Amino acid sequence: MLSKVSLGRYYPADSFLHNTDPRVKTILYAVYLVAIFIIKSPVAIGVLAGIILLMLILAKITPGILWSTVKPMLPLALFIFVINVFTIKDGNVLFSWKFITVTAYGIGRAAIMAVRLVFLIVATSILLTLTTTPLKMSDALEKLFAPLSLIRVPVHEMAMMMSIALRFIPTLAVETDKIMKAQQSRGADYDSGSFINKIKGYITVLIPLFVSSFRRADELAVAMDARCYRGGKGRTKLNPLKLTVKDVLTGIFFTLLAVLVVFID
Amino acid sequence: MGNNIVTENPNSIEVKDVVFSYDISDEESDKAPRYALDGISVSIEKGSYTAILGSNGSGKSTLAKIIDILEVPDSGKVVIFGKDAGDDNLFWDIRSNCCCVFQNPDNQIVGTIVEEDVAFGPENLGVPNPELRERVDQALKDVGLYELRHRDTSALSGGQKQKLAIAGALAMQPDILILDEATAMLDPSSRDDFLEIVEKMRAQKGLTLITITHDMTEALRCDKLVIVNKGKVAMEGAPEEIFMSDDLWQYGLKRPVKFNFAFEIAKLTDSKLTKEDLVSDETLTAALTKMLKKPGIKYPEYINHSEDKKEEREIILSVKDLSYTYDGSDVKALDNINLDIRKGEVLGIVGESGCGKTTLISHMNAIFRPVQGDVIVHTKDGDLSCKNKKDTMKIRQNVGLVFQYPEYQLFEETVFKDICYGLKKMGIPKTELSKMAYDAAMKVGLSTDEINSSPFELSGGQKRRAAMAGVLAMNPGILVLDEPASGLDPRGRQEMFAIIKSLRDSGTTIILVSHNMDEAAVNCDRICLIDGGKITAVGTPYELFQKERADELGIQIPRITRFSSLLKNELKNTWPDISFPEIEFNPEKEAQAVVRAVCRAGGADVK
Repeated sequence: MLSKVSLGRYYPADSFLHNTDPRVKTILYAVYLVAIFIIKSPVAIGVLAGIILLMLILAKITPGILWSTVKPMLPLALFIFVINVFTIKDGNVLFSWKFITVTAYGIGRAAIMAVRLVFLIVATSILLTLTTTPLKMSDALEKLFAPLSLIRVPVHEMAMMMSIALRFIPTLAVETDKIMKAQQSRGADYDSGSFINKIKGYITVLIPLFVSSFRRADELAVAMDARCYRGGKGRTKLNPLKLTVKDVLTGIFFTLLAVLVVFID
Repeated sequence: MGNNIVTENPNSIEVKDVVFSYDISDEESDKAPRYALDGISVSIEKGSYTAILGSNGSGKSTLAKIIDILEVPDSGKVVIFGKDAGDDNLFWDIRSNCCCVFQNPDNQIVGTIVEEDVAFGPENLGVPNPELRERVDQALKDVGLYELRHRDTSALSGGQKQKLAIAGALAMQPDILILDEATAMLDPSSRDDFLEIVEKMRAQKGLTLITITHDMTEALRCDKLVIVNKGKVAMEGAPEEIFMSDDLWQYGLKRPVKFNFAFEIAKLTDSKLTKEDLVSDETLTAALTKMLKKPGIKYPEYINHSEDKKEEREIILSVKDLSYTYDGSDVKALDNINLDIRKGEVLGIVGESGCGKTTLISHMNAIFRPVQGDVIVHTKDGDLSCKNKKDTMKIRQNVGLVFQYPEYQLFEETVFKDICYGLKKMGIPKTELSKMAYDAAMKVGLSTDEINSSPFELSGGQKRRAAMAGVLAMNPGILVLDEPASGLDPRGRQEMFAIIKSLRDSGTTIILVSHNMDEAAVNCDRICLIDGGKITAVGTPYELFQKERADELGIQIPRITRFSSLLKNELKNTWPDISFPEIEFNPEKEAQAVVRAVCRAGGADVK
């Protein structure tokens, strides 16, 4: 059910990429984001696929884990593919029936679009969510955006909020499931009826979910207070981010690969 | 600062005349603020083990927050080991020396990874690194979670989460540890485990331990009890002094079961217990034996309370060969369950957290549709199968299901509307709605005022009743209750079981899910034990809690039975031929049974 959402989940393992500095991973992520959206040629896509495969191995991610993160997004990828196939009308016409025209160029473009989306998800998972705990992630963002605190952007607070939000996703998923079950056993039916009725059905779930989120937020605030949380000032870190030569080399290596891909393109 | 007039004892926590209200003080408001603490004074010695007891809403949690300066008193004084909590310069110093573990494990974990969460506290204190790592590792070893240090916190069990919270506290190296109903959501074996760790740490590190609890037997472990009522200290003293008092009920409390049993024997033998008798099990059994040896004990009349034979009653719900496996799991959550539920009985389903109890009851009204096996509901209109999608609504009307902490699921503007929610969904005509809703509210003892108010204005116990009424309104023939009394104070628990008994007396079949053996034994006609998704035994409490049978099943015997058998062994020394054919699980009734046995053995006035 809801509690099994694997998108955005951390995958505990001891791998090369798990141990790479999250700042390097965040920067690499940005670099690859650009690369993924620039390239068009099949050769470049092939090379990029090779690089992603290398990252997967370096992150020790099993095909099963990869599949569970990609699977939820496949319908969207398929949808993008179909829409593009039917809307791009340039190039050699392969097939035409009434207003539908399929061209070779269209299929190629559509495939690139769909592949981009899949690459995007895989890159996000390998470089960020699967290999980086939310706390490290927020550490990295805090460090990377630290200069912004000079102009009074509350960088630490924002990073903390993000990591707590991520921490509570599974908890709230379980809670939602509980509320829905309780209401189902009182006769609620979320699956049938008109669209409006379905929306109404979900409102009765959202109200107790909101109330309980406020209660949880309140209790968590007290618990954090009790553990002497007072913002970022004077805080130390159990696992402080240390940029090693290995991290820098990893960063340079994969950036060069990305540049190579763009160059091939 | 520094102009403290009172020189305080550096070896104690001193709370003096503290007044505190959660209401924001507003000059214009005509409502008087409600005080959570109303001039409370208490003194807790360094290194002691104190329990703070009281009803829900008595102010005991607020007192804990005041000691940890999580709340600042409106007036009064708090001095922790000679340091004035009102002094802003000492604020962090005091707070870092005092740690709290709260009730709900999910709402106090900050980190997604076990060791990251433990580090959160010392990180905030600015502990530098080699030491920080040592502290985290040591704390994890102390609570036995070191092996799991890289685990995802959401993958831990409830008991492990509470141990994690303890580790998080220990890593801050506090002098004071406060447990705010920290064991309330744990099953008995995790609870024992948890208390053992905490008490070991107290001995090792000389912690001052303050525990807030509703469990009176747990309170017996402490040196001192403080009873809080309406924001004031009502009583304080050693457990044996406190439990001599007859006023506990008015503070929402009860004596531990073995004392209830002992006081009943004293009453029947016309004797008096002294506080010295209550100090230990040995002194208590010695005192009771002496009382029972007294000549002239009246034979207590046997009141036949066991009604007609349950076996002959018709079967109202049957679970057949039911198995269930959650997606993505290799372990069977339910493994070939066969169970018949008879009309009008109270059936207990007992097992530890994660044994499959909730999965089983979720099948009983087709929230989970049986994949393997089936659940059949026998009604006036014929048999309904949970497999059959068409019958879903009828089944849910017949089998009401109240999950744990149902009060968290209330959502309407008024209690009345909330109760009507299910009725409307079931298509009950408007003309009957109101009467059915009011009937349900009566059954759980809600007043007319409460029915028309917002559910969020009610107290915890009343909220739970309102949520129960929402299920009862549909007049289900079978009512499934998942831990209906959890989190309530002793009086609240007893009232909840009184409601359940009255429902049963009016003909409702009850299925009661619990991990509390004491309460299951008293309140159930039959008990079904579940372990690892399988039924290990089904029988009456009398059958299951015979010493040999219980040992064979590896289950905890109810506390009353355990204590009573100590006494019985003692009595066998005096009357070698004495026999105890009856076993009761209600402490008073068990006391009567023991006195009867003594009378029969020739101890006194034989009938």
